[in-house]
Amino acid sequence: MTLVLNSRPVVDDVDDGTDLVVGPTPAARVDGAVKVFGRGDTTVRALDHVDMDFGRARFTAIMGPSGSGKSTLLHCAAGLDTLTSGNAWIGDVCLGSLDDRRLTRLRRDRVGFIFQAFNLMPTLTAAENITLPLALAKKRADPVWFDRVVDAVGLRERLQHRPGQLSGGQQQRVAAARALVSQPEVIFADEPTGNLDSRAGAGLLSFMREAVDRFGQTIVMVTHDPVAASWADRVVFLADGRVVDEVTAPTADNVVEHMLHLGD
Amino acid sequence: MWLVLKGSLARSTRVVHTALGVVLAVSLVCGTFVLTDTIDSAFTRATAPVPGQVDVVVRSAAAFGATGQQITDREPMPASVLPAVQAVAGADRAWGTVFGYVQVVGVDDRPVTAKGLPAMGTGWAPDTALVAGGAPSRDGQVAVDARTASQAGLRVGDRLKVALRDSTEELTIAGLTEPSKMVSSTVVTFDLATAQHVLGRSQGGLDAVSVRAAPGTSAEALRARVGAALPGRYEVLTADQAAKQAKESWTRALGFLTTGLLVFAAVALLVGGFIIFNTFSILVAHRSRELGLLRAVGASRTQLLVSVLAEATVVGVVASGVGVVGGLLAARGLLVLLRSAGLSIPTTSVVFHPRAGVVSMVAGVAVTIVAAVQPAIRATAVSPLVALAGGEGDAGLGDRRRRPLGAGAAVLVAGLATIVVGMLGIVPRPLAGVGIGAVLVLVGLVLVVPLLVTPTAHLVGRPLARLVGEPAVLGRENALRSPQRTAATATALMIGIGLIGVVTVMAASMKSSATTTVQRSMRADFVVSTYQVPGSSSGVPLAAADRLRQSPAVDAVSEIRSGQWGLDGTAQTLVAVDPATVTGVYQLDAASAAAAARLDDGGVLVRDSVAARHGWRVGDTVPMTFARTGTRPTVLRSTYATTTVRSDYVVSLGSYAANYAQQLDMEIDVRLRPGTSAAAGRQAIRKALVDFPNLAVRDRSEVLAAQEGQVNRLLVPVMALLALSVVIALLGIANTLALSIHERLRELGMLRAIGMARSQLRSMIRSEALIVAGLGAMCGVAVAVGFGWVAVTSMRGLGVTRRVFPVAQLALLAAAATLAGLAAAAAPARRAGRLAVLDAVGKD
Repeated sequence: MTLVLNSRPVVDDVDDGTDLVVGPTPAARVDGAVKVFGRGDTTVRALDHVDMDFGRARFTAIMGPSGSGKSTLLHCAAGLDTLTSGNAWIGDVCLGSLDDRRLTRLRRDRVGFIFQAFNLMPTLTAAENITLPLALAKKRADPVWFDRVVDAVGLRERLQHRPGQLSGGQQQRVAAARALVSQPEVIFADEPTGNLDSRAGAGLLSFMREAVDRFGQTIVMVTHDPVAASWADRVVFLADGRVVDEVTAPTADNVVEHMLHLGD
Repeated sequence: MWLVLKGSLARSTRVVHTALGVVLAVSLVCGTFVLTDTIDSAFTRATAPVPGQVDVVVRSAAAFGATGQQITDREPMPASVLPAVQAVAGADRAWGTVFGYVQVVGVDDRPVTAKGLPAMGTGWAPDTALVAGGAPSRDGQVAVDARTASQAGLRVGDRLKVALRDSTEELTIAGLTEPSKMVSSTVVTFDLATAQHVLGRSQGGLDAVSVRAAPGTSAEALRARVGAALPGRYEVLTADQAAKQAKESWTRALGFLTTGLLVFAAVALLVGGFIIFNTFSILVAHRSRELGLLRAVGASRTQLLVSVLAEATVVGVVASGVGVVGGLLAARGLLVLLRSAGLSIPTTSVVFHPRAGVVSMVAGVAVTIVAAVQPAIRATAVSPLVALAGGEGDAGLGDRRRRPLGAGAAVLVAGLATIVVGMLGIVPRPLAGVGIGAVLVLVGLVLVVPLLVTPTAHLVGRPLARLVGEPAVLGRENALRSPQRTAATATALMIGIGLIGVVTVMAASMKSSATTTVQRSMRADFVVSTYQVPGSSSGVPLAAADRLRQSPAVDAVSEIRSGQWGLDGTAQTLVAVDPATVTGVYQLDAASAAAAARLDDGGVLVRDSVAARHGWRVGDTVPMTFARTGTRPTVLRSTYATTTVRSDYVVSLGSYAANYAQQLDMEIDVRLRPGTSAAAGRQAIRKALVDFPNLAVRDRSEVLAAQEGQVNRLLVPVMALLALSVVIALLGIANTLALSIHERLRELGMLRAIGMARSQLRSMIRSEALIVAGLGAMCGVAVAVGFGWVAVTSMRGLGVTRRVFPVAQLALLAAAATLAGLAAAAAPARRAGRLAVLDAVGKD
């Protein structure tokens, strides 16, 4: 399955003196990640020495109660936020060493995002939204790949619609297609099904699963929904900024089971 | 109720700093009022009589009072008036004085002038105040005002050159007099006998007699007694009455100024109103969820309405308050501006009457509230359901719907029709028709501009997208989100640019018309006039024309004089020409030349349109009132159409000599003998005028340059005042962008997350600004062309016969305004660029 990814040339145009190494290194990882918010008495330690690898062509879900640091972990791993100490890596690029310009290019070229809301530009059509990161990079979408992605999300008929004319589920699938179309090393999804009903949510998750299985995409997803987590290959549980548990080949039931005993 | 208000008030601090437009506009309003009060107070002080010096003033009665910087033309009084006054019981002391045109000449043989105001010569009087030296006691001595002396670098004992009626003489400065508080004019003081001689007051003629009352006699009582002792053709006033009259004449003359400034202030307020309207529309849209929540928990529509209006009131009060303070600064700026335009106002500190503050405050608050009414009504229409709907929706994307073109187009057409009707002069008050039409057109434009948003966005956006790429596309789409908002922002700019464009068109047309007139009709090779602005008390001594006639190089000489007269109490201007020689120096059309031939000493020529307005026909009697001679029935000999003559009334030099006391030429037109070269001609004229160094000799191109200089001198302050409206409009663009950015924080965060660089984000915002400014600039130029056409057409009677649309200047104006949009985007773009990605996207 990883062959799909490896068979496609990967462009590394980040002028950072490194070449993208496609191989055994994980798509993303964090080492000794610590994130402290606030100062003095109001200090909150959102991440407390977290080490985590996100393996290639794997679908990882991060779970945990509110305030467990799961969103912070995602933001720091994706280069949206900086760690107080420790390192975050995309491929073998250490994010801490990048300035804003390089970080932006890295996000644009090597990372995909799906958020809970405000995912799309309301002024652009679905097709334009999907190709937006490429347009920002002044690149053209590979038409073959674009067609495959569009067909995979089932949006062929909706390409010329604006977000306002699409349902919530369709909007999230446009966002997913956008994340996928630039063939990033890793896609980060922050509660992507949070605003969707269960049917639409299942539609989106099945597409994400397919992206991993068919295209060898790496996905990291933060969720609090055990059903959503059960679509992943692996579920990591966070509590108080630390990794407290992990489940491979999860089902909704055993995810719930683990959640109930997090504090134990 | 209070709670509803509290929400608004808590937020209003955010709006206040965006209400800078109102601050600037109110500053201009207040500044205008402060300026008016300052001028009023300055003239009151400057004209106030020195207590204990003069109690009663006697002079020849004038049937008609001159306005402006013209001095009322009065017949000199015979010397016998003085002993008659001195004999009046209660008169402690009485003395006579004379005044007239005497020009100080500098060492470089150029006249020493005081900003285009009358150069005066007068006789020594007991109330003349000295700063240094003594009184000029005999022939060959003179006193000069200290300001002129310091300007020319002269001290007591130095030689002073003065141009008199028929010679230039060098005199010794015996003393320096206190400068006039009234106006910065140059004043030369001789002993009375010399003054009478040089000013041509034969046999001891006097222009005024001043009387001081004996102890125990009131000024009023003395006035009554002096009045009873003299025949009715003399005017006897107390010093206070005379001062009041003088002050009123000055303030009336400057009334046009106040009106003009208030027009500019009103434009600024209008533009400011647009910005307020826009701000509140955006805030209401932005807050629809909060408003829905308030409705859901039981706030009534009225309460929401009041809450928005209350917020507007707070903004209006704070902004206007700051504006009033700014008005004090603005008044100083306006004074500087007026001086640069050559309008001299007695220097004084700025005077602030509470009335100025109250009026500007009311105007500012009213405009703010009125501008907020429509957004407030929209706020009441928010459904409680909005609060329950998830998310904040697509901010501002709702009103992409097309507005019907019909209403706007109808108003536009109605406005244009009204203007045409007004211009054709079908209705009784054509100017009112044009004015109402202009307002209708403006309203129509406001309705139509939103429809132009889409085409403009594509027109400006397409090349931009090619240049900048995707950020420009996003910027264009942002501008298209709410055509209403974009249009309102652009309209504010349109007004400012439009007016600047109209003035540009008018100025170009005026210059071009002047050029054409001079080229077509000026047969004279040279024009002789003073360097100063012509007026009845400054001008070319009559001896100059006589000397020119004797010059062998000169073929034809024709004098032109100018004066004021009264028609039913209103001041009119006439020119006087010599019917026999005027056609030798001016090329007139056949009909006008024929009209000139019919002019005699008892007749007048009237511009055809003016005659038609008054219903006068050839042979009718025009009741012309002259200050010196009273009402003289004058026969209308002919009408004329030519715009070569700027004045609406023309009389002969003979009737001018009969009716005016002060005889000075406004200009002398000189044609050289055939075969004389220009250089030789100029030299010959200079030689003939060697005694008059104060006279300018200009050839055709110099006449043109002088005329252009006059237009330009007026242009500077007008443009500066209009630029303020453009600045306000640009603030509006910055304001709208800032609010839009605030509204789209989440979206911007998402864009940054998926890889939009900071520079691209800034490009996106700049692109939007360019489109908005481009729309405003293009509509502004369209307005300039349309209204410029109307304005220039309506100025036909003033000699503006050519319509010139300076394409390059207008294109430059549009380009500059569009680029100024970039400047307006700078601050919002910088702020947006600084947004941390997470602040924008990460928080729920």
